[in-house]
Amino acid sequence: MSKPRVAIFDFACCEGCQLQIVDMEEEIIDLLSVINPVEWREAMSEQSEQFDISIIEGSITRVEDEERLRSIREKSKVLVALGACAVTGGVNKLKNNFDLDDVKQFVYKDDAKMPHLNTSKTKAVCEVVKVDYNVPGCPIDVDEFAYIVRCLAIGKEPDLPTYSVCVECKKKGNICRFEYGELCLGPITLAGCGAKCPTESAACFGCRGWVEDPNVNAAKDVLEEYGLTVDDLKSKMKLFGSQQENTI
Amino acid sequence: MSKKAVSQSELENWVDSVIQGHKTYGVKSKQDKYDYGILENASQLKLDYDVTIRSPKFLFLPAVESIASFNRENAKYESEIENEAFVVFGVHPYDVVAINQMDTIFSQPNRDEHYMTRRNNATIVAVDVQTPSEDVFAGYMGTATVEEGFDVLVTRIGDDAYLIDAATEKGEKLIASLSGANDADDSDIQSRADVWEENKNKLRRHELEVEPSEWPELLKKSVESPLWEEKSEKCFSCGSCNLVCPTCYCFDVQEDVNWDMKSGKRVRTWDGCMLTNFATVAGPHNFRADKAERYRHRYYRKGAYVPEKIDGEIACIGCGRCINACVAKIANPVEVMNRLAEEK
Repeated sequence: MSKPRVAIFDFACCEGCQLQIVDMEEEIIDLLSVINPVEWREAMSEQSEQFDISIIEGSITRVEDEERLRSIREKSKVLVALGACAVTGGVNKLKNNFDLDDVKQFVYKDDAKMPHLNTSKTKAVCEVVKVDYNVPGCPIDVDEFAYIVRCLAIGKEPDLPTYSVCVECKKKGNICRFEYGELCLGPITLAGCGAKCPTESAACFGCRGWVEDPNVNAAKDVLEEYGLTVDDLKSKMKLFGSQQENTI
Repeated sequence: MSKKAVSQSELENWVDSVIQGHKTYGVKSKQDKYDYGILENASQLKLDYDVTIRSPKFLFLPAVESIASFNRENAKYESEIENEAFVVFGVHPYDVVAINQMDTIFSQPNRDEHYMTRRNNATIVAVDVQTPSEDVFAGYMGTATVEEGFDVLVTRIGDDAYLIDAATEKGEKLIASLSGANDADDSDIQSRADVWEENKNKLRRHELEVEPSEWPELLKKSVESPLWEEKSEKCFSCGSCNLVCPTCYCFDVQEDVNWDMKSGKRVRTWDGCMLTNFATVAGPHNFRADKAERYRHRYYRKGAYVPEKIDGEIACIGCGRCINACVAKIANPVEVMNRLAEEK
């Protein structure tokens, strides 16, 4: 079996998800036994125009980035969105809640007019091109990434969770954060992280994006029960979920 | 079989001696709640706990387990069966009933060796409830006390007095180190009977107005009830009610290949009928794509399908974990059954 040529590209992000891959330690040797990396800025200096699989990290925030992404898509047999920024727009989408000119002025001050800072509304990768597989999360869960890579390498469709983080909390025997009056986004957030945050006694803040039918209306009803408000929910959901479909 | 009457310190010494000789689980504090964990010493063991976060089912049917390994290169395929003896301290009677029910299901044809091996390796020390939990309704389900399925039963019968009752050969072996302790006398046995009577009434935090034996008939008449739609509107499809349930045993099976692309393992994980894709088959067609259908299914599974399968036994033991776990507060079986009865 010939190894697929894989290119990892980054757009607007902290590059932490790429770092997660670099940080796979012993497993990175295994990873390289099934893929042939041809471009990966975090780990190598080579660049390539030819690849089978592209892995896209980061959200799309400039018009020229959309063009670059489209050109990558054209060359890719399979395109994978890596991490919250790429999958849902992530934290970068907070910007979309405000007037764009105000945002530019606030962040860049006098440099706001410089061409390379000409930011536009933040988009998730899937809002620009077709995405074949998502590896959600901030940062990604490396085990999930590794599983998806192994599936792709063997030509198997990865079987990824469609259920919420509550499932993983219950499997681990975690105490529900709602029991402590905290607003946890676990019930509406896509699982696959192993409920890392609730396991460490922190409420889920939804970095993996919502499940398909998040039932936000029910979530609003639940708040009252725990003495919380819709504004509490909205502000919590904005961090990773601004303008995600089906929600706020 | 032996029945011993012991003090708190004798009990603790016994537990410590068991820990010395066995892999031992027991109920321990977890923040302000309780859960099973490995016991390192008797002082960690909580016998006056209200309810454990996880039911003991995970000891026999782990949330995630590898059940087989394969290697394509030499066409080798082998079942993996965990085979290690262990003791578990502190199982409440309603949870023993749930284990008994699982035993029946998993030992039926197509016997589940993974479950049954763990089960046969276990020595169960049951403990009668001292502190009823907030949502328990075992008193209505006939599960506040239990007569079989445990190896030893521990009952607190006084301020500094416990009755330790070995019910099986395994249990008898486990309490061998208590040979010097006093045998229980008639008054101790009477004290335990009093605890049992009391518990049947104490474990009734939600008032169930429908006898469990009437559930199958009531459900059969309630297929079209508006309740299913109404309640499920608030459902997150998070499956929490399934996953905390001691009588829910559904699982999903998947394969994962190793990095060598030749060998790998077959893994099974807990699944639940309230999860959106639980009933999805090839196609993909989802037999219960609608939330209300899934919501209804859970109750039919508890109160009609399992009883049909195993001689009328209701697949609900009244532990109340689902009531507590559901953040939308729609998972209370007592509320549902009472409401259905009202509609008729």
